[in-house]
Amino acid sequence: MSAETALQKPLELILARNLMSALSTPAFLVDEGGILVFYNEAAGALLGKSWEELGTVGPQEWGSLFGPFDESGEPIPYDELPLVRAVRDDRPAHAEFEIQSADGTRHHVEASAFPIQTTHGSRGAIAVFWPASTNEAGA
Amino acid sequence: MKAKLWGTRGSVPSPGPETIRYGGNTSCVGVTLSDGSLLALDAGTGIRNLGLALPDEPTRLHILLTHLHLDHIQGLVFFAPCFRPQTEIVIWGPASPEASLHDRISRYISAPLSPIEVRELPCDVSFRSTPEAEWEIGPARIRAASVAHRGPTLGYRIDEGEDSLVYIPDHEPALGADLETLDPEWISGFGLAHDASLLIHDGQYADAEYLSHVGWGHSALSHSLSFARRTGARRTVLFHHDPLHSDAQLDGIEAEARELWVAGGGDPGAVELAVEGAELDVRTPAPSPVA
Repeated sequence: MSAETALQKPLELILARNLMSALSTPAFLVDEGGILVFYNEAAGALLGKSWEELGTVGPQEWGSLFGPFDESGEPIPYDELPLVRAVRDDRPAHAEFEIQSADGTRHHVEASAFPIQTTHGSRGAIAVFWPASTNEAGA
Repeated sequence: MKAKLWGTRGSVPSPGPETIRYGGNTSCVGVTLSDGSLLALDAGTGIRNLGLALPDEPTRLHILLTHLHLDHIQGLVFFAPCFRPQTEIVIWGPASPEASLHDRISRYISAPLSPIEVRELPCDVSFRSTPEAEWEIGPARIRAASVAHRGPTLGYRIDEGEDSLVYIPDHEPALGADLETLDPEWISGFGLAHDASLLIHDGQYADAEYLSHVGWGHSALSHSLSFARRTGARRTVLFHHDPLHSDAQLDGIEAEARELWVAGGGDPGAVELAVEGAELDVRTPAPSPVA
């Protein structure tokens, strides 16, 4: 890691965050290590917790807070999320699953992620969520 | 390290009686290192006069291009050292997935835009995409990093000893972002510009003008000053003047810049507008003695 990247996120992530901030589509951003570094207001509304409220969470905490869950209700490992797969495999990834918002509501979503590639290699990935349906937890 | 401003204007050359003090030539800054090594930051029309000022003797020099918009490369074919066989010129610039730096610059230095081709230049010229890691030229450490502008665009940082010059002439760090509240790690250019002895930064628009130029890749005055303050620049020179700005208008912008800078707790002498021909000593001031 250069001194540059230690002090500042790569420009491509900065521009991605700026774009995502202006979108009403839930969107998530991870860095080149697969660590979640931002999600926008629409994603915050879906999760019931804004990015600013969330603070720093690791992959394990993320799973316990929000899931996601597969069709049989089992937690999906963080490493298998489309965002993380997009970074790791350097190719687009898509999946359908349920996430749980802070108030316990589960949302059935489709997620599409794509890597952010530059002339200096991959910088991370962006995922957008498309809500498919909503069911109250335990209903 | 010393710098001389050979071209301070943005977008297009704007000579005339109304721009005679701040200058009408487009972007070019000459940087002389302590061992005499010469760097040219950008090759707008200002580089023509830089070339005319150089002695006609064997020379190796480096041209560091921030990007390939015409106001940053237009002077290349009028740079006298390009026509001297004893001169070695290394041209650095941003990488692109589309074509090599040589091929992209050749689009300008070729028919029908130019009477000569790159291969016909008598000098020994080479083209290098800037590396991601820092590199050395003479006694200086050079760093290039992408910054927010239209198309692949770099800013440069030149460190020699304790002194640093940061050059970001085309920059819109406030596009979709609030510079006052963002964490520094999310500010375009922060990694390059932090604690610079001298920051030469985009100052193209007055705040009112910016409203009709959002997304054009340049800064409003208040954005430039926020960037300078957030990065802790010791001295800031606002550069890349809009071609429509007369000397009188630029005087007014400079006065406003100092007023805003002082209102933010800064030293009024630490902010100025770039003046063509100005020579700047790049030196980090010694800390004040403790009373």
